[in-house]
Amino acid sequence: MKVVLRRGGLTVAAALAAVLASVTPAVAQEAQEDFQLSRPSEHMWRWAFVERATGARAYPAEDAPVVAGVRTRTPERTREMLPLLERRSVDGQLWVRARLPVLPNGTTGWVRRDRLSGYTTVRTHLIVDRARFTARLERKGRTVFRARIGIGERRWPTPRGSFMVRNRLAGFNDPVYGVLAFGTTARSATLTDWPGGGFIGIHGTSRPEILPGRVSHGCIRMRNADILRLDRRMPVGTPVSVR
Amino acid sequence: MSEPLTLDLLDKDGAIREALDEGMQSTRAQLFRRSIIGGGTFLAGGLLIGGLPKIALGAPSAKQDVEILNFALLLEYLESEFYIRAVDSGALNGDARLLGFARTVRDHEVAHVNFLLSALGDAANPKPTFDFKGTTEDASMFRATAIVLEDTGVAAYNGQGPRLTKGTLAAAAQIVSVEARHAAWIRRIVAGPGYPNRPGDYPAPAVLDKALTKAQVEAAVGRTGFITG
Amino acid sequence: MENNVKTGTLSLDVLDVDGAIRETAAAVAGDTRARFLAKAGLLGGGLVGSSALLGLNPATAGAQSATRDIAILNYALTLEYLEAAFYTEAEEMAPLSGELALFTRVVAKHERDHVKALKAVLGSKAVKRPRFNFRGTTEDAAAFAATAQVLEDTGVAAYKGQAPRIKSNAILAAALAIHTVEARHASWIRDINGEDPAPTAFDEALSMREVLEAVAATRFIVAPRRRRRRRRPQQTPTFTG
Repeated sequence: MKVVLRRGGLTVAAALAAVLASVTPAVAQEAQEDFQLSRPSEHMWRWAFVERATGARAYPAEDAPVVAGVRTRTPERTREMLPLLERRSVDGQLWVRARLPVLPNGTTGWVRRDRLSGYTTVRTHLIVDRARFTARLERKGRTVFRARIGIGERRWPTPRGSFMVRNRLAGFNDPVYGVLAFGTTARSATLTDWPGGGFIGIHGTSRPEILPGRVSHGCIRMRNADILRLDRRMPVGTPVSVR
Repeated sequence: MSEPLTLDLLDKDGAIREALDEGMQSTRAQLFRRSIIGGGTFLAGGLLIGGLPKIALGAPSAKQDVEILNFALLLEYLESEFYIRAVDSGALNGDARLLGFARTVRDHEVAHVNFLLSALGDAANPKPTFDFKGTTEDASMFRATAIVLEDTGVAAYNGQGPRLTKGTLAAAAQIVSVEARHAAWIRRIVAGPGYPNRPGDYPAPAVLDKALTKAQVEAAVGRTGFITG
Repeated sequence: MENNVKTGTLSLDVLDVDGAIRETAAAVAGDTRARFLAKAGLLGGGLVGSSALLGLNPATAGAQSATRDIAILNYALTLEYLEAAFYTEAEEMAPLSGELALFTRVVAKHERDHVKALKAVLGSKAVKRPRFNFRGTTEDAAAFAATAQVLEDTGVAAYKGQAPRIKSNAILAAALAIHTVEARHASWIRDINGEDPAPTAFDEALSMREVLEAVAATRFIVAPRRRRRRRRPQQTPTFTG
């Protein structure tokens, strides 16, 4: 009762290529409106790893000027992550506009989608209020954590803007950073020669008695107990708004 | 052969659809009464419980395969004749898509018949005679009937699957998915360009495809009166 | 639209996120059965529990039957995880309209329900959901439609390949019920794409190895990064402090 079963194994590439070649305009694309990968009003943000070093460009075209290079690793040797804004299809190629960890703060650029990993969605958001010296974590719009903080002295201010927690370091042995340190995509605009690039961190402290206040070189400091509490609720990739 | 009973197949939500629903309800009740050990079947996934047929008793055997394959052969004879006559009648000539469907499916069902004949050899039952009661001579009756026939074919094969020996099951599995493709295809044709509103009309109307027992399918087919001898 | 799809030789590393599939594939082949059973905790008391769940009488059913059925279910679950994630992401991210959008909504729900059902049957034996990167195929309508067609056809062939190897009647009935729904999906998207909904009179099966190779070639499944268990001393931060 045998029926012919054997042929070569499925070749996905060939199958895809054949189908793509024959797919007609019946499968029409919608009009080109940018797709919002992050939607702050809905408490939803997306990020992706950088899988291949690439140039982030002023607009989504291969010949557009490069705004900044983007690498696969941070200065701390963790994987580079970019906060994502919109996605656009141009001539069948997908591009994504991302916030870049460069000066001036707030710089964005267009990156080819295929240089990035799959997306991760986060629903948490850290809001830093410099005037009130507070940091507040929201999850889906609800406050789940609050702490008093230290921020940069006036000569080395903590910059205002939209950033992202991009790594988490622990187990190091430097009391200046307390028990735990988060790195962000924010840069100091004044300490431009700082080794490692002058990135703004969020970390614990060996001197809780000086909090709250303008006490640091730009980093956001909190008591060690608070940074540990925050760690339990805040995944890497969380957007940070400094106001 | 089953005795033909009367049934008005022009009613789209007809007897076979009722049988499909009945099959599901009685199955669920039965399953809840069964014990776990010793041939009973109870699965934690609620979705799976509703989709299961009665689990037949009796171990698979070559003899039972013959009985089941003859049952499949009957259904394939029915389908192939239905499509052959519908194409030959010219009733579908005004609708290129429908005609294309009928021709392709006809060829598939004929291939299925031929496969089953070669598998059964001398043990094959003779081909019945059919009267399709006008459903092969009118495009809209054809469409409604085709949906029911294909959906029933899927349910029939799925019901018999666990009763087959493994070699025969492998072959039957190659057929049933093609019947399912036919079912989705004709459903999409019937839905037309203004796409269907009711999930029950979708090419894939359910999360799990229902299975029917042999008795349920024979009863439903009997009620159509298509088989006359 | 480039998809970074390559034909590949067998490479389970990307696919085999926690070693479970490698183990289950070996169990199916039977050559590491004892090791697998021991690792999976299926010897002794554990076997009774899992067999009962699968509707088997432990006294009559062999240990190997339950093991193999679990392996097959986990294989099916992995494919359903992939499909569910693919369609769910496309629902959210792809510029779809009209019937293609409807297809995606309907099929996404089906695949998510398949995942739920298989996880419920497997209980603690279920493999974990992998991480995915769909590499743009969920963000472009034409690439999505083409990929969906390949995934559905592959799913049909995968279930078909395993059906004769399933020991439990209950599991088999469930697999057959899912198998034909995937065939309906395949027919539907083919028709939408202007392809033959039912290209042949007999659909062919694919072995577990062939399917896993095909899936690995898409690179959709991404191996998770290991948690940071530092073997070297943690670098001191260089943040501005």
